[in-house]
Formats: sequence, C-alpha cells, structure tokens
Amino acid sequence: MSNNKVTVVDREGATHDLEWEPDQSLMEALRDNDLPVLASCGGTASCATCHVFLEKEVFETLGERSEDELELLVEAEGYQECGSRLSCQVDFSQNLDGVTVTLAPEG
Amino acid sequence: MREQQIPQENQKPVVIIGAGHSGVAVAAGLRTRGWQGRILLLDAEKETPYERPPLSKELLKAGAPDESTPLRKEKFFQDKGIERLAGLTVESIDRPGKAVLLSDGGRHGYHRLVIATGSRARALSVPGANLPGVLALRTRDDALELKRVLVPGAQVAIIGAGYIGLEVAAAAAARGCKVTVLEFQDRVMSRVTSAPVSRFFENVHGQKGVRFVFGAAVTAIEGTDRAEHVVTADGARFPADVVLAGIGVIPNQEIAEAAGLHCKDGIFVDDDGRTSDPEIYATGDVTHFTSRIDGQSQRLECIQNAMSQADSVAAHITGQPTSDPEIPWFWTVQHGVRLQTAGVRHPDDDVIVRGTPSEGKFSVVYLRNGRLSAVDTVGGLSDFRPAKKLIARAAEIDPSLAAEPSISLTDAALQPSL
Ligand SMILES: Cc1cc2nc3c(=O)[nH]c(=O)nc-3n(C[C@H](O)[C@H](O)[C@H](O)COP(=O)(O)OP(=O)(O)OC[C@H]3O[C@@H](n4cnc5c(N)ncnc54)[C@H](O)[C@@H]3O)c2cc1C
Ligand code: FES
Repeated sequence: MSNNKVTVVDREGATHDLEWEPDQSLMEALRDNDLPVLASCGGTASCATCHVFLEKEVFETLGERSEDELELLVEAEGYQECGSRLSCQVDFSQNLDGVTVTLAPEG
Repeated sequence: MREQQIPQENQKPVVIIGAGHSGVAVAAGLRTRGWQGRILLLDAEKETPYERPPLSKELLKAGAPDESTPLRKEKFFQDKGIERLAGLTVESIDRPGKAVLLSDGGRHGYHRLVIATGSRARALSVPGANLPGVLALRTRDDALELKRVLVPGAQVAIIGAGYIGLEVAAAAAARGCKVTVLEFQDRVMSRVTSAPVSRFFENVHGQKGVRFVFGAAVTAIEGTDRAEHVVTADGARFPADVVLAGIGVIPNQEIAEAAGLHCKDGIFVDDDGRTSDPEIYATGDVTHFTSRIDGQSQRLECIQNAMSQADSVAAHITGQPTSDPEIPWFWTVQHGVRLQTAGVRHPDDDVIVRGTPSEGKFSVVYLRNGRLSAVDTVGGLSDFRPAKKLIARAAEIDPSLAAEPSISLTDAALQPSL
C-alpha cells in the first residue's frame, strides 16, 4: 500500500502537506509530522487532544464513532456533528487519500 | 512557530536519561520546537520505547499479541535525528564535568541534562518475596512473564488493590484464573478515589469471580521452590501459584540524589521542570513538585503529568514560554469499564454522586470549600472535559444541581464573579 497524501490546516490556519503511512492512525501521522497534537493518551480515546475536523463528505464515509469518542467530542471546543473526529480513532484507508484535515482548537 | 531562530548554544547536546513517556516526549518536543542540537536518548531497556498503560490492559489478554505499543516508531527517531542508546544504564552524573557515565564505561557530555527515569514497582519486603512466582508489573518483560503464568485455573493472589493490581485482576479473571485480591485498606483504590467508586468496582470485579480480602496485612510468602501461599497477619494462608505485588512505586531518583540534586520523595523541580541545578531538568514519575493549580506539593504517577512536564522542559530548553498547567487526569479500565479522573481529590473533599452507580454509568464530583477539585467518571466521559475546565477555574458548584445528572456539570457551576 502506498502512502496517503494529507493536507493539514493547523490552528493558525497554515497548511501543511504530509504523508500518511498505512500503519499509522491519522493521529500518528499528524503527531509524527510535528503537528501540535499532544495525544497524551496514546490513542485510546481518552484525552481528546487529537480532535480534528474532516470534510462532511469524507466524514460520512467513515464508520460510527464509539460512545467514548462521541462523549468527549460533544464537549469539545467547536464540535461539529458531521465533521469532528478523534484522529486516533481514524485508521488508514486508501479512500482517505488526498483529504484535508483541520486541527480543532485546543480545550 | 516552527521557524524559530536557533541560538548557537543549541549545537550542544541534550542528554535525556530514560526513554519512557516523558523522555520520549521531551525528545520529540525539542524537535517540534525547533531544537537543532544533538539529542541523546538513553535507556536501560533494549527495545523501542513503548506505552505502559496497555501492559496491564491489552497485552495480558488471551490471544493478544506479545508486541508492546511503541511510543514512536523506530523510524521516527531516525527521521528526527534523535540518537538512541538502548540497553545501557546511566550509573552517575558528573555535574562539574557536565557528563553522564554509562554502565559500559561510556561517558557523554551534556549541554542540558534531562532526568526522566520514571519509577519502579515497590518490592514486597516480607520473607519469601524473592521466591519464583512472585511478580510485579512495570515493564514489557514483566508483562510477558505474567502473561505466561495467567493460565486457566491458576490461583492468582494479588497484593494491593490499586489500579495496576485491579487491571491485572480483571485480565486474570478473564483468562479463567482464580483471583484473590489482598488489600490492607477497607476498599479498592482507596488512595485515588472515594468509597462509592470503590464499591462500584468491587461489584464489577465480584461479578467476574474476583474475591477481595480487606484489612489483609501480608506477612510472608511461603513455598518450597516457588510461591505456594500468601500468609497474612491474622494467620490466614491463601494458596497461590502466582503472586502479583501491586503496592505502589518508588521514584528512580538515586543517580540524582548521588549527584547532590535536591530530592525527597522524587526529584524537586520548578514549574519549568528545572532541578536545583539549572542545567539539569527532571520530568515524569520521578519528580516532586508544587502544583501550579492548587499549590499542593506532590508526586504524580500518570501519563498526563509525564507529557505535560515534558512539554514544559522542551519549552524551557528552547527558550519558549511554557503552556498553562493542565489539570492532572488519569484513566484505568477494568473488565471493560473505564474510570477516568480529572483533578486530584483529597480524602476530606465533599463527595457528590451524580447518576446511579447500579446503571453502570455515573460520576462522582469532589468539592473543596464549595469549589470543584476533582471528578471521577465511570463508564462514560460526558463530564470529563467540562470538569477539567471547571477545575481549572476553581468553579463554585451548586451541590444539588451537581447531583442531578440531567443537568450538565457546567450548568451546576456558579458563574465566576469578577
Ligand atoms: C502497567 C502500567 C499501567 C499503567 N496505566 C496507566 C494508565 O492507564 N494511565 C496513566 O495515566 N498512567 C498509567 N501508568 C503510569 C504511567 O505509565 C507512568 O506515569 C509513566 O510511564 C511515567 O513516565 P516516565 O517517562 O516518567 O517514566 P517511565 O515510563 O517509567 O520511563 C522511565 C524510563 O527510564 C529508564 N531508566 C530508569 N533509570 C535509568 C537509568 N539509570 N539509566 C537509563 N535508563 C533508566 C527506564 O528503563 C524507563 O524506560 C501505568 C503504569 C504501568 C506500569
Ligand atoms: S490520542 Fe487521546 S483521544 Fe486520541
């Protein structure tokens, strides 16, 4: 499998292009490319520091969010019903090549 | 943020002792913050630095792979120019010479030193504690050893009903072991939570066949070639093929102490993670510090603290401002039920139960002088983020509103009077 290309919009609005490797979750791709994603829980849907917004069309191709994920997101800054995800819960998939990911505000 | 001017002095090496959560976060954070000097990450363990929480959660499960979850892939360290020296112990710090001395005789000079040596499991100190079959859990090797002996039918005695003991109890019960938890206090997790949460988890474990013995003072482990019985002060003997001691941790501060750094229960650090030597930092489980939130002098053993102190250290080394303090938080998962805590509760805080424990999903709110100090959420996370924010602003809470789960915690807070 080849890498996905991802465009990331950071919290200051600047864009970054990065490679998302097949064995990474979306969170890992962000974190390991120096984006400010703390990911303190190591990807266990506990800390919500990996909150991102996906485009609605992309969001809709993904599966349901778990109850834990949803409960953390609903209380998050800027929550979007059809866009918010914990990036640690988004696995690599070839369908996600070329997507744009926006980092949600902290807090 | 990433186009920092790198001062000349940044060519000099930062040496990090310990590649656990905190040490790795310092190394990664330095690069994210634009540090271009050498970074040397030293660890006594050989393998790629890994996550500890899954050791007692996922790894022990039947059929789970023996691999640990890496904190970062090996390639990450290469890509970021983080030099790892693995399988070597730092034996001492030469402060006048600004160098660390390794077990293989090696010597590495530092410009800044970061001590991220973590903590180790406190060893049982009773006769028989050295018998084979008496285990503790801190490292991946420990977890694999434990996993091998948690076979169906095995009698497992767990000493200490802290979160590690209880996570292991859950894993062992799920694998068909006969589990007895021996605890000196009168309830589980008494150090970190209140009675309603303890009782809830005792029930969850009880339903899965875990047996608790409270008020149990272990006086000896008996056995000929290996552990066979755990003996308590009242003379009771509990048969055991496996004994797991989960009786707390001890900070790995010896090299810092020997180097004359100010230590007590942990290495003292300031808000920037600096020790009593301004060129030496410490971070994670090994530190003792004064909370920027409530002025409490404390040592914390959680990922949140390891990560957030690491961030302060990386910020200070690169001459950048530190972030606001984060409310400490912690989680544990037992029999698939998650307990997640925000804030640090005191034993004499007022306790308000929010929701019905028998329904498997509730929170417990802790108030100190009428203000929110901590929240435990059980089986759900709705209150977690609001709680963190309210604790950060020491919000005054209306106790009767807080007891009503249909009212959000935020709405139970009195508005800040400015
Ligand atoms: C089984 C288990 C489950 C846990 N679950 C949770 C959880 O769910 N949530 C949570 O918040 N916390 C949890 N914790 C606690 C959490 O893992 C610690 O708070 C965290 O690991 C602290 O990070 P650290 O970097 O300070 O120390 P560590 O991760 O302990 O790393 C220290 C490293 O330093 C190395 N070292 C020590 N001395 C030397 C030396 N002299 N020379 C070279 N290397 C040295 C050690 O080998 C070690 O790798 C758990 C801990 C364990 C053991
Ligand atoms: S990394 Fe913590 S919730 Fe995603």
